[in-house]
Amino acid sequence: MLGVGAGPDGAIGGWSDRASGDPPQASTIRPQDREALAVLLSVHGMGPLTLGRLVQRLGSPAAVLDLAGTGSAIECLIDASRDPNGPGRAMPANVADSIVRAGRNRVAILADVELSRLRVVALGDAEYPARLMAIEMPPPALFVRGSLEPLAARHVVAIVGTRRPSPPGRRIASRIATGLARAGATVVSGLAVGIDGAAHAACVTEGRPTVAFIGGGHAVLFPRAHDRLADAIVDGGGAVISEYAPRIEPSKGTFPQRNRLISGSADAVVVVEAGARSGALVTASWALEQGRECFVVPGSIDAPTSAGCNGFLRDWPGLARVVSGVPQLLDDLGLMGAAGLPGATGLAGATGLAGADQPDDGRVVVRSTVELPTVAAVLAGRDGAQRGVADALVLGAVTVDELVASTGLTVGAVLGALTRLEASGLVRPLHGRYELAGVLAAAQPPTAKPAAA
Amino acid sequence: MLATLLSATLVALDGRVIRVEVDVAPGLPGFTIVGLGDASIREARERVRGALRNAGFVHPPRRITVNLAPADVPKTGSAADLAIAIGILIGSEQFTPRPGRAALIGEVSLGGEIRRVPGLLPMVAALARRGVRRVVVPADGADEARLVEGLEIVAAGSVVEAVDELRSRRRMGPTPPARIELAPPSGVGAASPHASIVAHQTPPDLADVRGQLEARRALEVALAGGHGLLMIGPPGTGKTMLARTIPALLPPLTDEESLAATIVASVSGEGPIHGLIRTPPFRAPHHTSSYAAIVGGGPRLVPGEVTRADGGVLFLDELTEFSRDVLEALRQPLEDGRVSIVRASGAATLPARFLLVAATNPCPCGHAGEEDRCICSPGVPERYVGRISGPLRDRIDVWVTLARMKAAAMVEGIDPESSATVAERIAEARARQTARPGGKLNARLSGRALRGFAGLRPLTMRRLADLADAERLSGRGTERLLRVARTVADLDAAGDVEIEHLEEAARWRPPSSRPAMALAV
Repeated sequence: MLGVGAGPDGAIGGWSDRASGDPPQASTIRPQDREALAVLLSVHGMGPLTLGRLVQRLGSPAAVLDLAGTGSAIECLIDASRDPNGPGRAMPANVADSIVRAGRNRVAILADVELSRLRVVALGDAEYPARLMAIEMPPPALFVRGSLEPLAARHVVAIVGTRRPSPPGRRIASRIATGLARAGATVVSGLAVGIDGAAHAACVTEGRPTVAFIGGGHAVLFPRAHDRLADAIVDGGGAVISEYAPRIEPSKGTFPQRNRLISGSADAVVVVEAGARSGALVTASWALEQGRECFVVPGSIDAPTSAGCNGFLRDWPGLARVVSGVPQLLDDLGLMGAAGLPGATGLAGATGLAGADQPDDGRVVVRSTVELPTVAAVLAGRDGAQRGVADALVLGAVTVDELVASTGLTVGAVLGALTRLEASGLVRPLHGRYELAGVLAAAQPPTAKPAAA
Repeated sequence: MLATLLSATLVALDGRVIRVEVDVAPGLPGFTIVGLGDASIREARERVRGALRNAGFVHPPRRITVNLAPADVPKTGSAADLAIAIGILIGSEQFTPRPGRAALIGEVSLGGEIRRVPGLLPMVAALARRGVRRVVVPADGADEARLVEGLEIVAAGSVVEAVDELRSRRRMGPTPPARIELAPPSGVGAASPHASIVAHQTPPDLADVRGQLEARRALEVALAGGHGLLMIGPPGTGKTMLARTIPALLPPLTDEESLAATIVASVSGEGPIHGLIRTPPFRAPHHTSSYAAIVGGGPRLVPGEVTRADGGVLFLDELTEFSRDVLEALRQPLEDGRVSIVRASGAATLPARFLLVAATNPCPCGHAGEEDRCICSPGVPERYVGRISGPLRDRIDVWVTLARMKAAAMVEGIDPESSATVAERIAEARARQTARPGGKLNARLSGRALRGFAGLRPLTMRRLADLADAERLSGRGTERLLRVARTVADLDAAGDVEIEHLEEAARWRPPSSRPAMALAV
């Protein structure tokens, strides 16, 4: 395990006198400092670096805010933010001005945090995720909706990828997330549409906690299409986390910054599909920089959605590792066969051989305690029309025309079956096509033949 | 001397009888028209002057005063030209008509010919109501005028012919009503020599549309129950083609609807009318159409597209591209089946009971769902269809998304059904609806009547509640689900709405309200 328990590098030390490397026993953060952090972070242009320098010079976040209330606050703040090692690099006057204004609005800002039902977890709080503490420039505080407990799990794995995946890519993300969730690992991602969403949704479907780091404030949740997914994540015992104050708008710069938290809070990052310039590659690069493991699902050299993945594998031989299958990935992550894994126990059929579902074409067959659901099992108990339609979808039919052609059912019957499957979350419509969703998306494709027993 | 004749003018869709008084008196030569006439009536002076001279008559160099009565009705158009011209001839004693009241309608040309005017049918009808027995009409409007029963229609091609007719002692008596023989099945004037002008209105057959089974079914359901339909899909997926098949899928208009449609066509001046229009109108205004073009208006209160689509289909292609004002203006007609126009020149309430059929691209670039072809940012396609305002969304019961078909499917596929087959099912389903007390289509049923006709069993009721729950439907949304389900059941010839009908109906809900969207990824 990399980086777990390592202390902060001191970038923002000074007001938290916790000894480096010691797991915190109790919070050393004063309540007024925690509040001051929330207020200061709501200032546009206030990053960990500036805040760190201010706190170092003035003693504590509360002291910074106190200074903002005095007469010549702006000059003093600018002076305090000056980098002792790089002369001239102080914060701009408008940021100082914003700090002063934020100080005046502190009641409103804190009410906002309260209203969004957020907790402010400061660096130094006992709750602060240990893995994040160890990265360079850890966020001074996190705005948290939900529980941080899943980030303290023994295994935390990030799944990232393009916002415009291909249907198979989406299913692979679902399958990996389901496998990880069933193995007891916490899945971390970025709540974006596409691969991120598929990964989170698979965990929610499994009833396992998952954690999303968002690239803007909670009050301006982006993308809006994932409002309900975010609620489901929180309700499922996971968390939606931001290093930004509730009203900070997501922007071009915030997402790459946020990516360092996705990789930093995990032991390993899995990139499922990424185009040549995908932000997922930024996360993967952070992972390597932070000493996390990096897994990449390779794709066809012609597939635009895999260009980034394949390029990354080529650029980082020996560091980026290939995902050759879900059981293989779980094995590589040390999640296979480990009896007594938290969460892996008590799983129905935990002694089965998921690896046996691999085609016997010479690839390594891995023993597994984790089983992915099978299409047949998911569809058990459903009527003929639904089974027929779902089977056709698994085999690649996407439009009603194709479903009618391959099932031989009437249009009305196909539509009814689709409604039932959709209501159970197994199918979803997308621009006039239909694709597998939920557990069905995570199911092993039926093309894999069971190995000889 | 003074000559008094009858003519008519149009107020919105109604004809109004007007008296044309022509006084030819000694004095300084001049020509004045009084009586609230618009510009086209003022210009009648020049037309009449030329027509009389070129037809071989004398335009008298006297003081001519024309009064159009009643003085408080604004008169528009050129329908009174003929009456003014004949009035001058009588007033200057160039000929003496035989006794008996005759009315005259028609525009004159400088050469002395008589031309057709819009709204002949309602104008002649108004004259008939006033007890007029004989009406001189333009020769090419005679068929249209003869749709009004109990009148002697005199067709005149020129001022000379009109004078001959008025002078003659012969009496033809009422022309036999022409309604029966005239019923072109495929639209206005399709059986006439002018067929080529309207040939594009011959709808394509459904058999020509390959695939798109989901959309075809949606179309069938929408037409069967009179539900609004929205088709969402990339360009070239057949949305417009499917919409164009509609006229042939709907049952012919009833007598009453037919008369209303013919009057609207007459007033709109769409071309010669040779019989009652039996095919439901299909109007497809372009998305750049102005507010007035859609709603109607102008000083003459001309009917807009919503009125011209009365009893038929209003097809709005590229729905999201229509101006907001225009779309908002559709609310009243969609709600009440009529549209009120108030202008400085007057107010009118025109019928506008149309079936709304709309089509839109899924996103600004048009290619959402086509993997790499869509250049829109994530989330943009979802918002694009969301532009359709709430009230309009609420009025569209059937939503369907079309995907581009694979080329192979276009060639192979199942042989598509023909329009005739589908039209038969639609007619049967409609017959089942109109046979119920009240005789209304499902889309126009009141909520109470709908629940009464649904025949929900407890188990079906529970399924409806489940579906409504899963989709977070409002009371109104649930009612619409049931409404469409009733239509699906009617297509199925089922007495009661069953679970499978509800489940199919749930597929026709707007995409954003579907349950799986909860965890959209």
